[in-house]
Amino acid sequence: MSERRPAASRRVGFGLVLLLSWLVGYPLMLTFLEALGIGSGFTLEYFAEFVGRVDEWGALWRSVWISAASVVLSALIGVPLAFVFERSEFPGRKVLGALVALPVALPPLVGVIAFLFLYGESGFVSRAVQGLLGLSEPPWRLQGPGAILLVHAYSMYVYFYLFVRAGLARLDVSMQEAAAMLGAGPVRTMFKVTLPLLRPALTGAALLAFMTSLASFSAPYIFGGGFRVMTTQIVFSKLNGEVAMSQVETVVLALVALAGLWALVRLDRGRIEVVGGVRGVAPSRTALRGRWARGSATAVGWGLALVLLLPHLTLILISLVPRATWTIELLPPVLDLGNYRELLAAPERLRPIVNSLWMATVATLGAVALGLAAARSSIRSGGRLGAALEVLLAVPWAVPGTVFAIALATAFSVDAPMAGRFVLVGTPWILPLAYLVRSLPVTGRGALAGLRQLDSSLEEAAASLGAGRWRTLRRVTVPLLKPALAAAASLAFITALGDFVTSIVLYTYDTRPISIEILSSLRLQDTGVAAVYGVLLMAVSAGAFLLWGREEKA
Amino acid sequence: MRRVLLVWLLALTALTACGDGRTPLVLYSPHGRDLLALVETEFEAANPDLNVHWLDMGSQEIHDRVRSEAANPQADVWFGGPDTIFARGVVDGLLAPYRPAWAEHVPATSRTGADYYFGVYRAVPILFYNADVVDESEVPTDWDDLLDERWRDRIIIREPLASGTMRTAFGMILARSVAETGDIERGLDWLRRLDAQTREYVQNPALLFEKLIRREGHVTIWELTDALLQQQRGVPLDYRFPSSGTPVIDDAIGLVAGARHPEAAKRFIDWIGGREATLLVARQVFRLPARDDLTPEELPEWAREAVESIVPAEVDWQLIAERGSKWMARWDREVRGKG
Repeated sequence: MSERRPAASRRVGFGLVLLLSWLVGYPLMLTFLEALGIGSGFTLEYFAEFVGRVDEWGALWRSVWISAASVVLSALIGVPLAFVFERSEFPGRKVLGALVALPVALPPLVGVIAFLFLYGESGFVSRAVQGLLGLSEPPWRLQGPGAILLVHAYSMYVYFYLFVRAGLARLDVSMQEAAAMLGAGPVRTMFKVTLPLLRPALTGAALLAFMTSLASFSAPYIFGGGFRVMTTQIVFSKLNGEVAMSQVETVVLALVALAGLWALVRLDRGRIEVVGGVRGVAPSRTALRGRWARGSATAVGWGLALVLLLPHLTLILISLVPRATWTIELLPPVLDLGNYRELLAAPERLRPIVNSLWMATVATLGAVALGLAAARSSIRSGGRLGAALEVLLAVPWAVPGTVFAIALATAFSVDAPMAGRFVLVGTPWILPLAYLVRSLPVTGRGALAGLRQLDSSLEEAAASLGAGRWRTLRRVTVPLLKPALAAAASLAFITALGDFVTSIVLYTYDTRPISIEILSSLRLQDTGVAAVYGVLLMAVSAGAFLLWGREEKA
Repeated sequence: MRRVLLVWLLALTALTACGDGRTPLVLYSPHGRDLLALVETEFEAANPDLNVHWLDMGSQEIHDRVRSEAANPQADVWFGGPDTIFARGVVDGLLAPYRPAWAEHVPATSRTGADYYFGVYRAVPILFYNADVVDESEVPTDWDDLLDERWRDRIIIREPLASGTMRTAFGMILARSVAETGDIERGLDWLRRLDAQTREYVQNPALLFEKLIRREGHVTIWELTDALLQQQRGVPLDYRFPSSGTPVIDDAIGLVAGARHPEAAKRFIDWIGGREATLLVARQVFRLPARDDLTPEELPEWAREAVESIVPAEVDWQLIAERGSKWMARWDREVRGKG
């Protein structure tokens, strides 16, 4: 079709490039210009102040090393887990394999709060350890870099786990067999053959984990204390009224993130892609033999699942504790459904749930449509236009949520239609828009991957049978892409539903989402109600996650 | 799948569309649920055509949010926080002038905002502690007591950047230093010593109380109203007024510039500072009135006691309003975690 209507498809391509630049690139550029004082007199004063301040460099350095350490830690947990679950067979493997991915269903802020009640100074685990060892002080303090890394490792190993499992499933066993036949031992095969073959999966997961921790806000906000990273530094500068400084910090963080993206992409380029091509025969799973081995594998597996599920369980438990009944006991003395009833009784308090649901739905639908359109156009146009579209789709992923929120707030708080700026701040549209932009990389990636695997002859057949463009899209392309799009959509939906970083900058009374209501419930000492919101959020996220699983199988 | 999606969207549209035709009135306030829920019920009962919506956040966070939304203001009334923060708001053009009916009934010190804001309540920083772990004999009675060796690692403090109360308490220390030595260095030094004693800075007042109750920290600096509310809940927390004086804060109210419902906002401001609402709030949720036309007999007992025991500190409020932000930025860079 692209041969038949090259001009039209190029026009569409240009239109999409413009639209995406306006949504993605323009707000960032405006923030950059404002940090330079363009419009009110050019100045490098704030950049100079930034460069001259030790604390700013410190925060930047902490952001970078925390992110690097988070990548290493989550790889150390996620990769071995992926091998265990993909390569060996033991009772409960399927159920456990799904449970291990559950941290995905715990939105950042909710996860952090669960950790506070679990491992905080007066959390269950700390009190239990203190009681067991007969200590007079809590055994540790959930504060500073250690606490942040713990949360990051917990929530980000899932990337390594999922990516590497998928990579292992696609791996062609003949390569390993060849290595073995050539006399390589298992260790040598692992390092010389298997891991290099898994490289795309590993870099993909590393990139995701690095970007997520660079952008991470909830954990350093709650546990950081004096340990300041860039995301918290931005928010505190803005809070203290140093708006120009916060813009400079925003720009610097965005630059670091883009540099990280560039470095990792470069690292990955020029490697021979062995995994792609023809699908090989996946190695069969080794069934663990012997009662002892099977027994211990099962025990370790379930024990691990329990540890991983503790935050979820904690949240459910906290949601059952009536206000002000739990002080210094190890376990809460009273449990009832009062918090749930309180929530159901006040329609005003259900509002945030409705808000989050409609905003996440709209944002997801928009992101899927735009992602699909851009991906299709990128593949059809190819060349520079295609590459430009691909880069634009990826940018929001590299840019931390705080940065994006500030950029959107900067761009859309001015009424200048000729310059493409409208007042969206304070309207119900700014948050869905922010969620949409932040979901674009996921839906765009999903659509691109799906389209690349698609057999174009099917579309051509439809066209030659007289189906128009729209009909082909509706009857052939979308149904074929459904699994890929459903996966991307549920991930986008979960992210938007649990979003905290962008929301805290852009919410209004009428659009306050669940995460903000959780924060204010905490502020109002309604820990139980906050936990109820958390449980609801968790349940809906898990639901979306399961829906994705079902779609994938179908 | 498609049908599921359609039903889902329809249901969401139906849920979001419901409204009751009353004029909404949006308050940004740090006052907390106890006061805000009470005020919402009472004010709506007296004004059936209005629907009060409130968002509760730190008083500095209100300033930040109102400033971010200046192009399209969301709030109608800025209700609460030290008047020093309101003064910054006036400089930033975030408030509109409105002189409420009760303006004449508050003292001159509560009318410094040239019609942009007026003090309604008095907020009083106090020394706040867990009475189950702090022995009667070792209770801190003045600011300097907090620097004593025995409090090392037993103090927790509410995140000072976000909190008007903490900004004022720290501001007083620094303003005193300016008055006595000409600059803030000695004050910063004092705060550095306090930082060395501090176990943790917590993100919101609720966490602060929670941690005090659960004995993660034993002493803090906080505000009288919350101390009384906590005591009413039966938790073992107690307080002292600092003997050398405490900065009595004018807790103000103002009309947001460009508010979408200015008439409703004015009605609210007139009502909240009125005699009846002031007494209601004093009796039920422990706000010390700024009004000076109330007789001691009308006031609840706690307020009479407080008025007798508080030693107001001499404070250069204007200096705090002007320099506060710079000072706190320096505190954040040079003091936090450095002591």
